[in-house]
Amino acid sequence: MNALASVVFVALVLLVATYLVAVIDATIMIRVSRGRGYTGVWMDPIARAARLMMQRGSRTERPDLQVWFLAPALLAGLGAVALASIPVAAAVHVADNGAGIVLFGAAMLQVMVAVFLHGWAANSVFPMLGAFRMAAAGMSMSIPFSLALITTALPAESLSVGAIIVSQEGLWNVVRQPLGLPVYLITALAFSFWGPMQLPDAADLAGGTTAEISGVALLVWRVARIGVLVALSAMGAAAFLGGYLGPVLPGWLWMMVKTAGLATVMVWSGHHFARMRIESVVFLGWTLLLPIALVDVFLSGALTL
Amino acid sequence: MTLEAVLLVSAALFGIGVYGALSQQSFVMIMMGLELMLNGAIVAAVGFWWGTTGGNPEGQLLAIVVMAVMAIEGAIGFALVTNVYRVRKADITEKLRKLRG
Amino acid sequence: MSGVIDLLFWAFGASAVVTGWLVFRTDSMVRAAYWLMASFVAVGGILVLLDAQFLGLILILMMAGEMTIMAIFMVMFMMNPAGLNPMTMVHQHRASIISGAGAFIVLALVALFANFLAEPVPTGAEPTVDLGVELLGGSMLVFETAGVALLAVMIGAVALVSQQGRFGDAEAGSLEPSLETEGP
Repeated sequence: MNALASVVFVALVLLVATYLVAVIDATIMIRVSRGRGYTGVWMDPIARAARLMMQRGSRTERPDLQVWFLAPALLAGLGAVALASIPVAAAVHVADNGAGIVLFGAAMLQVMVAVFLHGWAANSVFPMLGAFRMAAAGMSMSIPFSLALITTALPAESLSVGAIIVSQEGLWNVVRQPLGLPVYLITALAFSFWGPMQLPDAADLAGGTTAEISGVALLVWRVARIGVLVALSAMGAAAFLGGYLGPVLPGWLWMMVKTAGLATVMVWSGHHFARMRIESVVFLGWTLLLPIALVDVFLSGALTL
Repeated sequence: MTLEAVLLVSAALFGIGVYGALSQQSFVMIMMGLELMLNGAIVAAVGFWWGTTGGNPEGQLLAIVVMAVMAIEGAIGFALVTNVYRVRKADITEKLRKLRG
Repeated sequence: MSGVIDLLFWAFGASAVVTGWLVFRTDSMVRAAYWLMASFVAVGGILVLLDAQFLGLILILMMAGEMTIMAIFMVMFMMNPAGLNPMTMVHQHRASIISGAGAFIVLALVALFANFLAEPVPTGAEPTVDLGVELLGGSMLVFETAGVALLAVMIGAVALVSQQGRFGDAEAGSLEPSLETEGP
């Protein structure tokens, strides 16, 4: 694919997938959403987006203005880069080279940087606290996240995502490496700061990094966040659930179904579990998830050899 | 993109790192100068691997060792900075005057 | 195609050098940490262009964490993290400019006038595979030594900053001896 076509393709896929995940979110929230002006599950994300676009943007005193506008754009760009490294069908990919899964990991760890910048920009207390929380959660969850993904490269003997998908032709990684997918899902929740890991934009910080933001900037931030969730679900589907492999339907349709499944699980957990305290998240990352991820690596290495 | 161009970029990064490490008063800025110097070293190492070793993987290994050294220096550096602040309440080098002649 | 690669290389190289320079010019300290991050991302791009894709991407991955830590340390230790009041905190400025320029000139002269071998990486080689085989094959000892060194550094760093020693609170010993013979 040439460069411009790739960029347009990834942007379109990201926008459509973001809309669909927002629809899933509205479906799960359906008992809460009904009220005056409720327009049904399919129109609800568009109605909320339109309302945000009509809001006035806000300013604080002496903000870091370039960073204020950079952070949502950076988050959206990182989601797009991460999505670009995942093949949607056999040999149809944008940026999957010999180290595709490392590209994905690098893009997702930079989400921590983007959220820190977003909290820093507003020159205000609650966004700064949200930024610090994301730094702590991100540092704690980085290593289990990377280990769970690298473990899927062991049976494939390659770091390319396409090779990892192809190596699952006999057996999906979720069966071969049962510890991998739960660890990956928990850390994916942390990196897309959703649900129980909704630390930087938490309600107990009056919206956290989005406390001083409104209007179009807030809309771009939220859309970018869902884009990151989509990229994480797609990689979970590719690395653990076999990607585009499947019996009857075409490859891209399987990819969509599996991504939608993982996205539904993560969105549902957002509504089902309460938000964890930051101390619990840090404890979870270092003392529970890291040993489990290491055991996963050892077991998988032993089985592969 | 010749080997000379890569080495020029590496030399520029190293030079800026030397300037930063020598001129800054704050400990964290000095560490940033050190990181820039190591940055230049990594570019030079990978440049030499790309241009002159014909694909011998030990060139990449050198770059990985330098990256490990960056991590080590960052960790110990920050630990020492924290400790110096706790003991002497000093966050810039000018405040450490006990051995000044 | 090689024209595009050349253009990208010069773009990455120029941004690495310029953002490295901006680290020491900017007033806002958090921005300094993230200009350094940008310099590392540009260097990661150069490494990917030099066919060492794994190294470039690992560099960007590592630096995300390291630069966030540096930004947090900036906010902790710098008087002026947002740069709202401009200030210059430099010492021995002329000596350091001369040293920096001197280092650059010496290294650039070496780069331009030394005769290097020309054995480029063969096209079609897979550097990631080669690196993996080498890491766990011939250079396993180097790898393990680096691992043990990192473990020692982790333990050492925690020991250095831990507030609780074996004999009580670590800050209890940090009072300077007073001028009187008795007393704290």
